[in-house]
Amino acid sequence: MKKKILSTLVCLTVAATTIIGCGSQAPAANTDTVAPETQTETTETKTEEKAADTTAEASGDKVTLSIYTQYADDDTKVPYDYAVEKLAEAYPNVELNLIVQAQDDGQTLKTLAATGQLPDIYQASTDIINTFRESNQIMVLNDVAQSTGFLDKLYDANKDLAYAEDGNIYAFPFSGQEYVLWYYNKALFAENNLEVPETYDDLLNCIEVFKSKGITPLALFGQEGWNTAAAYDVIATRYTAGGIKALDEGSASITDEAYVNAAKKMEELVAAGLYQDDATTTNYDQASEKFLSGEAAMFINGQWYIEDATKALGEDVDWMFYPAEDAASYEAGKAVFSGGGSSSGFAVNPDSENAELAAEVAEFITEKYCEAKVMYRHNPLVALNTGAQSDSELPAMMQKLSDTLPSVTATTKFTWGLTNSTFNDAIQSESQGLVSGQFTAEEFIQDIEDTME
Amino acid sequence: MKKYMGNKLAILLFILPALAIFITFDFIPIIQVFAYSFTDWNGLTIPNFTGLKNYIDLFTDRVFFTSNRNQIIFAVVITVYQMLFATVFAITISDKKMKGRKFLRVAYFIPVILSVTVVCQLWSAILAGDGLLNKVVQLWNGDFKQNWLGDRYKAIYVIAFVNAWQWMGYQFALIVAGIKSIPSDYYEAARIDGCSNVRAHMKITIPLLAETYKFCLIISLTGGIKAFTEMNILTGGGPNKSTYTLTYMMYNAAFKKSNYGYGLSAASVMVIECMLVMLVINFIFRDRDQKKEEEKARRKRNA
Amino acid sequence: MRKDSNNKALHYIFVAFCWIYAAFSLYPLIWMLFYSFKTNQEIFVTNPFGFPWPLHYENYITAWTKYDVPLYFMNSLIVSIGTVAITIFAALLFSYATSRMVWKLKTFTRLFLGLGMFIPVQAIMIPVVKVVQKFNLMGTRWSLIFPYIAINLAFACMVYYGFFKGIPMELEEAACMDGANIYQTFFMIIEPLVRPATVTLIIYIFLNAWNEFILANVVVGSIPELKTLPLGVLFFQGEFTTDWGGMGATMVIASFPAIIVYSIFSEQVESAMTIGGAVKG
Repeated sequence: MKKKILSTLVCLTVAATTIIGCGSQAPAANTDTVAPETQTETTETKTEEKAADTTAEASGDKVTLSIYTQYADDDTKVPYDYAVEKLAEAYPNVELNLIVQAQDDGQTLKTLAATGQLPDIYQASTDIINTFRESNQIMVLNDVAQSTGFLDKLYDANKDLAYAEDGNIYAFPFSGQEYVLWYYNKALFAENNLEVPETYDDLLNCIEVFKSKGITPLALFGQEGWNTAAAYDVIATRYTAGGIKALDEGSASITDEAYVNAAKKMEELVAAGLYQDDATTTNYDQASEKFLSGEAAMFINGQWYIEDATKALGEDVDWMFYPAEDAASYEAGKAVFSGGGSSSGFAVNPDSENAELAAEVAEFITEKYCEAKVMYRHNPLVALNTGAQSDSELPAMMQKLSDTLPSVTATTKFTWGLTNSTFNDAIQSESQGLVSGQFTAEEFIQDIEDTME
Repeated sequence: MKKYMGNKLAILLFILPALAIFITFDFIPIIQVFAYSFTDWNGLTIPNFTGLKNYIDLFTDRVFFTSNRNQIIFAVVITVYQMLFATVFAITISDKKMKGRKFLRVAYFIPVILSVTVVCQLWSAILAGDGLLNKVVQLWNGDFKQNWLGDRYKAIYVIAFVNAWQWMGYQFALIVAGIKSIPSDYYEAARIDGCSNVRAHMKITIPLLAETYKFCLIISLTGGIKAFTEMNILTGGGPNKSTYTLTYMMYNAAFKKSNYGYGLSAASVMVIECMLVMLVINFIFRDRDQKKEEEKARRKRNA
Repeated sequence: MRKDSNNKALHYIFVAFCWIYAAFSLYPLIWMLFYSFKTNQEIFVTNPFGFPWPLHYENYITAWTKYDVPLYFMNSLIVSIGTVAITIFAALLFSYATSRMVWKLKTFTRLFLGLGMFIPVQAIMIPVVKVVQKFNLMGTRWSLIFPYIAINLAFACMVYYGFFKGIPMELEEAACMDGANIYQTFFMIIEPLVRPATVTLIIYIFLNAWNEFILANVVVGSIPELKTLPLGVLFFQGEFTTDWGGMGATMVIASFPAIIVYSIFSEQVESAMTIGGAVKG
């Protein structure tokens, strides 16, 4: 009995000392790192007034800027690492503290903003830009865009991406116009003596043939709302060039005949079995692996997927123009693509003690992202013309897209480019309902109409 | 004795640490949640008071009904599953004649140790369209293949099962701990009276563990009402929000639509629902408490 | 006779069921281990459930090189132990006062604290972080420990309350007559009796703190020296694609300490329980 009490007491004291220990240690460590930082910050902002790359170099003190961005797969790691490498040459006194972006619908970033802990530079989506604008937590970058030559380098096609609705620049976009491509496995189509479908009747025929062979006609990653919204948009754009963009802007209504027809067509295709049964619980990697391993014949994704698809399937993969109601609308539809640009890009925290420097660095990183994407990711569809060239020939699908682009007359939006967050939420979940095959086209139209009121 | 157990200073010292931390880090934030639920706050700007607007919008929201229905299903499924299996396994493990009981005890608890992410990954692999379960089902009867997680009405039961499966182990551990704290002479007395093992447990364990069962019930029911993580990983709330709960509504409104005030009104309704459940359970178990006291007194007299 | 053999058969079926269920509970461990040695293609298409071959042990190398595993590990450990120690201490005292001592408002106080069980973390996140900032705790480990205590406190108090209620009042009466003061009575006589509950709570709270992600990401996500293990998965989740094998490796690295803690404590549970029983008997 006594022994037991003794041991408890020992336990408690040990526990208590660990806690006290960790308490007194951590703040000390923290002040250590914070103190020199604040010193450099004050000296830095003084020299910064003169604003030129060289002044930053002249001052020997280190400045650490925190940056909140994606850093997980090659598409995000390669550009970041490249940018850091170049930054060390151009701004030897600047160091980046990378905070890896969480895939959480902006929950982390919004909480950081609400509690005044926003990083110096952060990757902002359209939704974030619009929200932070209201509370002045995103810096107006008009002057920096001018002085750094950002505006001069911006491709003409992307001019409108840089500006928010109010005509100001809040973020430096690095992606240019992007497109939803309807990928297909050439080999699977050839094996089954199928032509690339041009009309929905062709498509229905393909579905039947593939299903009888146990092949998924089109693998959708419907757990992500943007993919189901894109699946609806590729049909809607065959009926009206505006697609979901027109709905977002309010220049069209979901009850318009074109959108109703598109919903009904999608319902019909779902019923025929275009997508896999469990499409609404499939994630990106599951669907992609299905397509790349030949278990699925078609796939809907952005043009950034060209690199991965080519790597895995080589000659066997291509993209097709979206099928349409009849031959005439198919031909006409070749000029209309789902997808489009978005103003998301690197933004700066105006309350940062090094805001001016951070803005310059953000612009610099954006340029380097564009360079890296062109040089190492075979993706010429970036926001800026940096003069960089790809390190090898473009993949065939990218070449085909580049050749097609001059004749493209209209694009829509990806969901992250939509400005009306209520509509955005509705189209993502309602299109998922259609994909599941358990919500009718009438419900789809009705629910969106209700929500938009 | 009354004075001894009513030592004011001791009471104050005893409740102070818990109360101080709770009020600062829990209660003040909860008050703010309620306050902000009457505003159009987006998380960042200065909130404007909008009265009951959020609540009116909430009650007319299509998803509000679905969410509440899902919460009830979820709560009932996990309560029944967990309490049933936890009791059966706990009694089995407590029987000294059971072989390998130590091993079983560890095994039943393992799912609790793993993070929700791991457990949900496993189950989404098993429940996928071409997953393990459908393959097994197909061997038996090809027509019975199901879209386990993608069904508008049935998916919620499957998600509830995954949650119940993972956390059963915890209630099991609590009940085992409870049985251990029952003096063994109670059972000996029952055995002398000729009670079978099962009947002895029915008569002794379950009534004496009324308090344990009470909080198991509260954990399960309120856990069902505030469920979120499993839906988020397994179905993303889909298809078309048919596996939403109020917490999911809150998350969606606050972070996807930047409508924090609206989200917090959903959270507030959920907290009130949980409180009601707790009060009702406390009320139902109040009679039991008194009965137990009487029972104890009688036992004492008999002894 | 027949009835007897029927009973026997039933008994065997029941025992078999117990073991099958146990196997089913252990399966995730093996599955997770397999998973961590696979590539995305194996996980989703070619080999979702079988033994991984060839072993993609490079997943572990990636996990180890992407972030500072020992540092994150230590941070998780300190935060979890701190949370457990304070929560248990505060909850023990509080529940004793509200279950056995005599005063007005005790039911109200107990239910008031129970409120903490019902609120989802996502809802109170912004206010909680603001409180943490007010107390100048940002950048210290307390910024995680205090909110974690608050989150677990209500639950711990409820569990303790049930256990305290089950102890006969005679114990205090006897102690009082022996001349022990209330503090001695509590620490020497009552506290050992609820040790089975304490051990299960230690495990539960430790796991909660160990696996917590949302709050940790917001509070220490930008401070490399204070990051905890669950934040490691961020290095594997891209905007579109996720390196599931690498994530599996991270989860194995994060889970095994928890399993070790549990196996140590499950031994303790056994011994603690026998002592508790002995005192009571």
